[in-house]
Amino acid sequence: MEPGDIVTVSVDRVILLDIAGQHPELIQNPPARVFDPSKISVVFDHFVPAPNVEMANGTAKIRKLVKRLNLNDFYDYGSGGIAHAFAAESGWFYPGQIVANTDSHSVAAGAFNMLSRGLGTPELMQVMCTGKTWFAVGETLKVDLSGKLSGMSEAKDVFLKMAGDLGDMPNMNIEFAGDGVMALNMDQRTVISTMCAELSVEFAVFPGDEVLRSYVQERGVQEYSPVSPDPSASYAGAYQLDMSEVVPMAALPDSVAGNTRPVDDIQGIKVDQCTIGSCANGKLSDLEVAARILKGRKVHPGTRLIVTPATQSIYLRGMELGYIPTIVKAGAIVTNPTCGSCMGGHMGLLADGETAITSTTRNFKGRMGSRDARIYMASSATVAASAVAGEIVSPSSIPGGS
Amino acid sequence: MDDKISGRVWGFGDDINTDLMYPHICYTLPEIDRPKYTMWANRPGWASQVNRGDIIVAGRNFGVGSSRPAAANLVGLGIVLVMAETVNGLFMRNAVNSGLPVLRMDGITQWIAEGDIIQVDFQNCTVTREQDGSVREFNRIPDLLMNIVRSGGIIEVLRSQGYIDSEPL
Ligand code: SF4
Repeated sequence: MEPGDIVTVSVDRVILLDIAGQHPELIQNPPARVFDPSKISVVFDHFVPAPNVEMANGTAKIRKLVKRLNLNDFYDYGSGGIAHAFAAESGWFYPGQIVANTDSHSVAAGAFNMLSRGLGTPELMQVMCTGKTWFAVGETLKVDLSGKLSGMSEAKDVFLKMAGDLGDMPNMNIEFAGDGVMALNMDQRTVISTMCAELSVEFAVFPGDEVLRSYVQERGVQEYSPVSPDPSASYAGAYQLDMSEVVPMAALPDSVAGNTRPVDDIQGIKVDQCTIGSCANGKLSDLEVAARILKGRKVHPGTRLIVTPATQSIYLRGMELGYIPTIVKAGAIVTNPTCGSCMGGHMGLLADGETAITSTTRNFKGRMGSRDARIYMASSATVAASAVAGEIVSPSSIPGGS
Repeated sequence: MDDKISGRVWGFGDDINTDLMYPHICYTLPEIDRPKYTMWANRPGWASQVNRGDIIVAGRNFGVGSSRPAAANLVGLGIVLVMAETVNGLFMRNAVNSGLPVLRMDGITQWIAEGDIIQVDFQNCTVTREQDGSVREFNRIPDLLMNIVRSGGIIEVLRSQGYIDSEPL
């Protein structure tokens, strides 16, 4: 196989989302039959619960499709969460798998030593019907991670540092390697792999090591074959990053790739809203760090904080472990698991002229509400610290955070 | 789709993302009204100036972002071709699946500007700039993709293969 080749592959699982109900292509032309109903999972995540009649009608159509095609692996409101995070915790992602999903952050699954790429809804219909899809072979950049995260730096900062240095790299892939990988748990790896969608890559794949093995074994997956690069593999280039030198980072408004700075360089910018959540950063570790920073403190009266856990089980664990009560006592809103404001769907849209800092995945102009809003992106620790300060600050400036 | 097309160019810069082409408000609008919001945040009023048969020429990383049907909005406005320095892989597939061809060409933004008229020959893989007759070649779009474009998009492919239920949801 050479870069530029197109390969056709069989998929192990297809994930269909509620948002497909907003696509007239599907609603007007639903599939008459599917390749294997047991390999199709339906997860409601983008607009949960329905924020308006249009979304309610769309999701009702998907429920109808679920019945018509006997798609029994179905997660309606209250039973799943944001698909990428829910699939990981459910043991759907493990080495060697190929999964098709209607969402651009499907690259998240690369943390599990496997392949998944986002597809549009009409194309996902093709995969539902045929069980096959195609990938374009691209060149690969090797990202060599060394060292360990230190201080208040998080996996998001590792990604933002990479994004600033590398810029966009459409049609290419990333392969993660190096001793530093072993120092990252699966939550941290999925933050990085998920965010690689912002670099415009096709795939971002981590090795199949012991950390991954114990994660998937705990979720009932015993048999699989990890994939590893050929000894003769050639790369388009290499990038080295010592994670112990990574400081808290932020993306400036409107784009991520090639648009990041150390948080210290932009501190003092007043924020009207702070958001913690998304498939990347709505994990239990995000709730934990937010609770640690907010404990005994209050959200600054000049701003507001919205926290959205990624899945129902993270939501529940966050309550059991006391993170959510701590966050609520600090004066934040904790919502049910959903994509919510990450894509401007509901629950916390931005008004004209507002400035926000978010640990979600995208800061495009207009994405989270008004087209006149400015969106900075950072780690959940930086967002929580900024919520306390009412302005962008580094988490290390809040005593006791670490 | 014809093997030769000719159209007037709209110029765009780098990093034109899917959320600009398909703002979140589109999700709640009837299909026919969605294209009116294309580039609503970065170039208000543009959508109403587009004529059927127009072409977009853009810079790097065109279409970065989500799987939303951004290309369908361009098709809805009458755009018949996108050319860019580099193109996001997901946008490329979504475009092809909506029947919209996309060409990558290094240096296109230095050569073609807004207002130019260009002719594209998909058989011979050439682009001609009408003003001065200059010609450049592009790499042939793989047959797998070109066949989808020629069929009018992936739904039409599925329909011809008998996969589409005649009863809407
Ligand atoms: S949380 Fe945001 S990035 Fe993740 S799937 Fe939802 S909308 Fe996409």
